[in-house]
Amino acid sequence: MNIKLVNCHFDFEQRFELMEINWCISEGQHWVITGANGAGKSALVASLAGFGERLAGVVTGLPEKVALVSFEAQAALIERERKKDDADIMDVIAVGTPVADILAEDNACPLIIAELLEKFELHYLLDRAFRALSTGETRKVLLIKAIASKPALLILDEPFDGLDAATMAMMEQYFSDLARQMTIVMVLNRCAEIPEFITHLGYMQQATLAHTAALSDEAATRALLQLLHIKTSELQIPAAEGNLINGGLDATQPLVELTDISINYDQLKIVEAFNWRIEPGQHWQLSGPNGSGKTAILSLITGDHPQCYNNDIFVFGFKRGSGESIWQIKQYIGYVSTALQWEYRVGTSLRNVIVSGFYDSIGLYTKASDGQKRIADQWLALLGMSDRADISFNKLSFGDQRLLLIARAMVKHPPLLILDEPCLGLDDINRQLVLALIEKICAGGQSTVLYVNHHSEDKIAGIGHYKHLLKHPDNIAVQ
Amino acid sequence: MSNNYFNTLTLRDQLEQLGKCRFMHLNEFTEGVDALKGKKIVVVGCGAQGLNQGLNLRDSGLDVSYTLRQAAIDEKRQSWKNATENGFVVGTYQELIPTADVVLNLTPDKQHTPVVNAIMPLMKQGACLSYSHGFNIVEEGMKIREDLTVIMVAPKCPGTEVRAEYVRGFGVPTLIAVHEDNDPQGNGLALAKAYAVGTGGHKAGVLMSSFVAEVKSDLMGEQTILCGMLQTGSLLCFDKMIEKGIDAGYASKLVQYGWEVVTEALKYGGVTNMLDRLSNPDKIKAFDLAEELKSIMRPLYNKHQDDIIDGTFSSGMMADWANDDANLLGWRADTAETAFEKTPAGDVEISEQEFFDHGILMVAMVKAGVELAFETMTAAGIIADSAYYESLHETPLIANTIARKKLYEMNATISDTAEYGCYLYNHACLPLLQDFMKKIDIDVIGKGTSNDDNGVDNARLIEVNAALRAHPVEIIGGTLRGYMSDMKAIV
Repeated sequence: MNIKLVNCHFDFEQRFELMEINWCISEGQHWVITGANGAGKSALVASLAGFGERLAGVVTGLPEKVALVSFEAQAALIERERKKDDADIMDVIAVGTPVADILAEDNACPLIIAELLEKFELHYLLDRAFRALSTGETRKVLLIKAIASKPALLILDEPFDGLDAATMAMMEQYFSDLARQMTIVMVLNRCAEIPEFITHLGYMQQATLAHTAALSDEAATRALLQLLHIKTSELQIPAAEGNLINGGLDATQPLVELTDISINYDQLKIVEAFNWRIEPGQHWQLSGPNGSGKTAILSLITGDHPQCYNNDIFVFGFKRGSGESIWQIKQYIGYVSTALQWEYRVGTSLRNVIVSGFYDSIGLYTKASDGQKRIADQWLALLGMSDRADISFNKLSFGDQRLLLIARAMVKHPPLLILDEPCLGLDDINRQLVLALIEKICAGGQSTVLYVNHHSEDKIAGIGHYKHLLKHPDNIAVQ
Repeated sequence: MSNNYFNTLTLRDQLEQLGKCRFMHLNEFTEGVDALKGKKIVVVGCGAQGLNQGLNLRDSGLDVSYTLRQAAIDEKRQSWKNATENGFVVGTYQELIPTADVVLNLTPDKQHTPVVNAIMPLMKQGACLSYSHGFNIVEEGMKIREDLTVIMVAPKCPGTEVRAEYVRGFGVPTLIAVHEDNDPQGNGLALAKAYAVGTGGHKAGVLMSSFVAEVKSDLMGEQTILCGMLQTGSLLCFDKMIEKGIDAGYASKLVQYGWEVVTEALKYGGVTNMLDRLSNPDKIKAFDLAEELKSIMRPLYNKHQDDIIDGTFSSGMMADWANDDANLLGWRADTAETAFEKTPAGDVEISEQEFFDHGILMVAMVKAGVELAFETMTAAGIIADSAYYESLHETPLIANTIARKKLYEMNATISDTAEYGCYLYNHACLPLLQDFMKKIDIDVIGKGTSNDDNGVDNARLIEVNAALRAHPVEIIGGTLRGYMSDMKAIV
């Protein structure tokens, strides 16, 4: 059995649409579909059971017998029973269809039914009306019904929801036996529940199957689970420490004012006559081709560019070159760039890397307070890296390092958060994760975000100001 | 040649100056850069130290500009480019020196006399002249105008690291001193401290020393263990391996990178830790080799220290300066022609531990050199803290330059003074170790011992471990590294 969905587009009674679904379920595979609420997990698996109207694309290899157990299916059956009741105009108390009859539908195998009733200890329910059962009981009945119909494809949407631990363990064992006879596709919200017989993970996002990973590919699996973690956990940006650094800033003054800026290397002009004013609360996106001076302009603001002393720059109440130190400037800034990541070559722990954001240092040279450590741990939990708090930063993958440096930049809720191509070099999954964090920070209201990229698809909700740089004509001529 | 300043001091003053060295605590720097705030700082010279110190000082909120000789400006030399591309004001001595409150002389040692002679008449009354090395004052006997304050601020790392550590939010260990003959307003120390804060040095640890102690210990360290021993050791170890049929690419790689790897262990935990990286039998072997090396080389170390103390070394070198560097340039050319220098490192994998296991002799040489330099310096009256920094502390920094580009890189990075002393040492040490090297085989350099069992005699191991740990360089090292790691969570 090889089920293939190619470029499929499904409509669910105009309530929901699945877009661009490409998915292949091969013989012997068992899938868990996961993703945030509303991403389309249930719709995806329901489409395999014939729900939804296919507007485009091709589906091949679907077996004849597909069974779906889901809240939606459960609700539909209950609704059907309720209607029967309404239809009864006789003045007798309608008892509804007994469980035994419900189970016998669809040519279900009586042997399996008997076996499962015993396992679930549900014999006593057989004669009761289906609609009189509790939610948990109807769920179990549906499950028995689905399995007993001996499908080639068994779809279980959140099968463990509302089950106690003992039942869950029993079910998992049972499913793993079943997996030898049929293909199983599950929807699960909690990764901790992924049963051992599962071979593949699928991640739904914004109505499409955004990522898939074979569980045998550890790196891909880890990334996918991390993304799931960040998307589904109540994404709470940890608080800054005690009093915020922007307490001292004059809210009526611009954070940054660059006037008639020029930047030259040797005889070459990179930027000329550039002006920019950033008010508190104005989130900006800066874009432009390579060599247009994006990073150079940012480093004028951060004080990392030596020509900041030859330009008219006003930042956080300081006129640059008037006796202020760069540390007085940096205290107001959180900053991430590829250059920073190259510079950040230290063997210190992940926790210390985050704490170093409080001190604007690369590495940590001051004893962290307990409060700072606690905040760092909250960030690690948010990134799904709690179990790695004490390992060395330089042992991390590039993408994980980037995530950590983004947390470092955000940790003090700086008045100005500069993210210079934060997603550069990140795979799809990590990019989504970073964008989610940035949206959260934008919405938080404490930091003004200055976001730089040249990928137009990385749009951030909440950014309302755009600046696009062009290459200086001198620079183009030279290249 | 003018008078050697040190030789004009009484024995009592000589001993007092040599013995000056104190590790300062962070709370002595609470005034930050205040003493320099609003003052006009003019840097003479824009090489690696000049540029990078200037960048740090400016980023600390200080007013920094550069002065270069007219010719360097007219010809737009590298120093001019360094300063202007970084947005500094650049001017001639005549334009800028008269406006300066503080002049930082960061030119090479060799140019100090002409530079100071040129700028001193232009300096304003009561200004401050700062050095980063005391050679000009102590060895050449330069007399500075009485109204001027003379200080020294010497970051103990190459210029690029001075900048890199500052940018990280840290600094490099720094030595400061006030020339007591030139402290008319009594504010020399305040200025030196503010300068050290401005470069970030206070975060990594500041040693308060004297011009004399700095010069005599710095010269001794650089020509013996730091550069001399590593150069001599490189040549001897490489040639021995070739003689015994070890693959040339392997031998080249083992030596080029080996110093860096073994001295990394030294940096973290002193000589003890470096030897602890070896198996017990190998450790005893390295210990014995080091003892033998120490007894052969001790007279050489003594001679270097004596020549430094009484000025023989500096007058010899200054004579070579006057002779268009004939010796220096000849030795430099000879070094480039050595087999080690000309054999590129092979494309072979050598694990970190293998550098120890196959480089027992290199470990022994580092141990012998560090301990001898330290012992000789302290015996000459230099205080242990100073001796530690000028021997053990700096060895990994020099080893790192060899890893980058062999002896060429080391000699290009270090000062001319260090390079000159290095060749002197090398020429004396190579013949001195000839007989010793005859007995050496590839078990201690190149191949490793093939001990099937790691058994050792208990009593002997206890003896060796105790001797390692009891050496005075380990005692002071433990204390100073303790200060460092208090401040620097990552070493």
